[in-house]
Amino acid sequence: MMLFLQFLVSGFVTGCFLILATIGFSLTRRVEGFLNIAHAELIGVGAFTCWGLNALLGVHVVVAAVVAIVVTAFLGLFVGRLVYDPIRRFGPAVLLITSVGVAYVIGGTLDGVIGTGIRTLDIPLATTYRIHGLRITDYQLVMVALAALSAIALAVFLNTTKVGLAVRAMADNPGLAASRGIDVATTSRITWLLASGLAGLAGVMLAVTATLSTDIAFHQILQILAVAILAGLGSLYAVIWSGLIVGICMDVSVYWIPAGYRPLIAFAVVILVLLVRPQGLAGARAS
Amino acid sequence: MNLEPLVISVLTYGSMYAILTMSLQVQYARGGMINFGIVAYFAAGAYAYAIVTQEPPSGLDQYLFGFDAPWWAGVLAAPVAAAAFAALTGWPTLRLRGEYLALTTFAFAEVLHSFLLNERRIGNGSVGLANITQPDPPGIDTAHLYAAAAVVMMLATLLFYRRLLASPYGRAMDAIRDDELAAQTVGKDIARIRFEIFVLTAIPIGLAGALFAMITTLVAPNLFTAEVTFLVWIALILGGERTIWGAVLGTLALVTFEELVRAYPFETVRGAQVAASVEEVVTGLIFILILRWQPFDRAARQKSGTP
Repeated sequence: MMLFLQFLVSGFVTGCFLILATIGFSLTRRVEGFLNIAHAELIGVGAFTCWGLNALLGVHVVVAAVVAIVVTAFLGLFVGRLVYDPIRRFGPAVLLITSVGVAYVIGGTLDGVIGTGIRTLDIPLATTYRIHGLRITDYQLVMVALAALSAIALAVFLNTTKVGLAVRAMADNPGLAASRGIDVATTSRITWLLASGLAGLAGVMLAVTATLSTDIAFHQILQILAVAILAGLGSLYAVIWSGLIVGICMDVSVYWIPAGYRPLIAFAVVILVLLVRPQGLAGARAS
Repeated sequence: MNLEPLVISVLTYGSMYAILTMSLQVQYARGGMINFGIVAYFAAGAYAYAIVTQEPPSGLDQYLFGFDAPWWAGVLAAPVAAAAFAALTGWPTLRLRGEYLALTTFAFAEVLHSFLLNERRIGNGSVGLANITQPDPPGIDTAHLYAAAAVVMMLATLLFYRRLLASPYGRAMDAIRDDELAAQTVGKDIARIRFEIFVLTAIPIGLAGALFAMITTLVAPNLFTAEVTFLVWIALILGGERTIWGAVLGTLALVTFEELVRAYPFETVRGAQVAASVEEVVTGLIFILILRWQPFDRAARQKSGTP
């Protein structure tokens, strides 16, 4: 029973990471209207920028993290403007496939610059706390706190600020938003910055809590897709629930079946849910 | 650069992947279904061929079944396995639409991949099944033989789809794609036709899988990753999804690009690892640039007169 609860705790932490990793992906899907497969590569860029600054150049991890997030945000914006904007009129399928090409370019560059092998940040070992026999590390607590903070900050931003409302208007109906005087180009730019910055943050947290290798991005995209489908593509608040569900299901499954099946569990959950609710957990409208 | 091996491998792999692209074209452009798990039917065919023709397990082998049947039995088993997998996955998922269908088929492919990786009793886990039976008639160069086999199989698939699409059945498919409601009103069973297309198009993919297993003489989970699915989709978009010839041209162009990039001597940069990542970057850039300007698609549009 104790072991089960321990898996539940680690599943909750995994879920918090998945929320960070998916929320930017879902934001892009809502506002830009396509599935950006390269989102996972941005997580890799965030992780390795943080690692390079911290482990190679000796920059303090907090400074390295902030720089990594900013770098990732602007890289995302740059790619959005340079690659996706000119082909928007070709429709979501071409955008989706192009994002695979972008993933190849970013992933290949990371491979070439970083090389193979396992990397870790130059930070103190995690301190483990014991609460009623359950173990949780300080870095895991930071992950949970940052996921909660990001979700709240995003919700406040989208609901109360003028720019946030413009983003929501554009997500619901770009044509109408434009005709009502919303600056579509600026709103799109802000979306790219936000979504990519969140990917950078997810990458930093991955670097803090796990060991890094350059093939991480592909494993992330599988889980991101699982969470995003479950949430009903592009629904932002449902990402919180579905991230936790997928994270907990994956980690708790280890209690019964070999850990090698962990990625399979994410998709098994998705398939089961879609059979009952074809639009995902929160999806209400036709796709 | 030596031209002959390049041409041979472009013809072999280009024709083989063109079979997948054509099936995808029929599913997507005619059936209106976005299938992002096409590699799974390919894998099902390849594994079926391997398991049927493989010798029974011995020594350290962890797989349970090897029937040691001749190669033609494997070729018969492959399309059956692919169609069976398509029926199994298509039955619950085909009521999903658009991106949901795309991602669910993707999920099924990942589940199969993870299953083959972890369940050693079927395909020997990550090691895979090696030394697969290869028909090897004396006196003929095997590279040429398999290039010819791939081209013949590709042309047969092309003819099969052309006949199918020109038939009343093909027109029913077009009707469903263009206006589901209208097709339903005139009495077309949309769910059934979609399901039939899904299973029917898996058959050539399964055959291509058997050919792939013969050529590589190895099936392992790592050969059937989502990268194959991406490659086929890129080929389809590249060639333009409107015509079946576009699918073939797109695949051949893409495979030629890849083989050219691969054939380029990278001795000047440090090591094979950097060469591999340079290849990845160049391939990605080519995808982006071609999707940006879509030369083949434009040619197809001018020819057919559609805007």
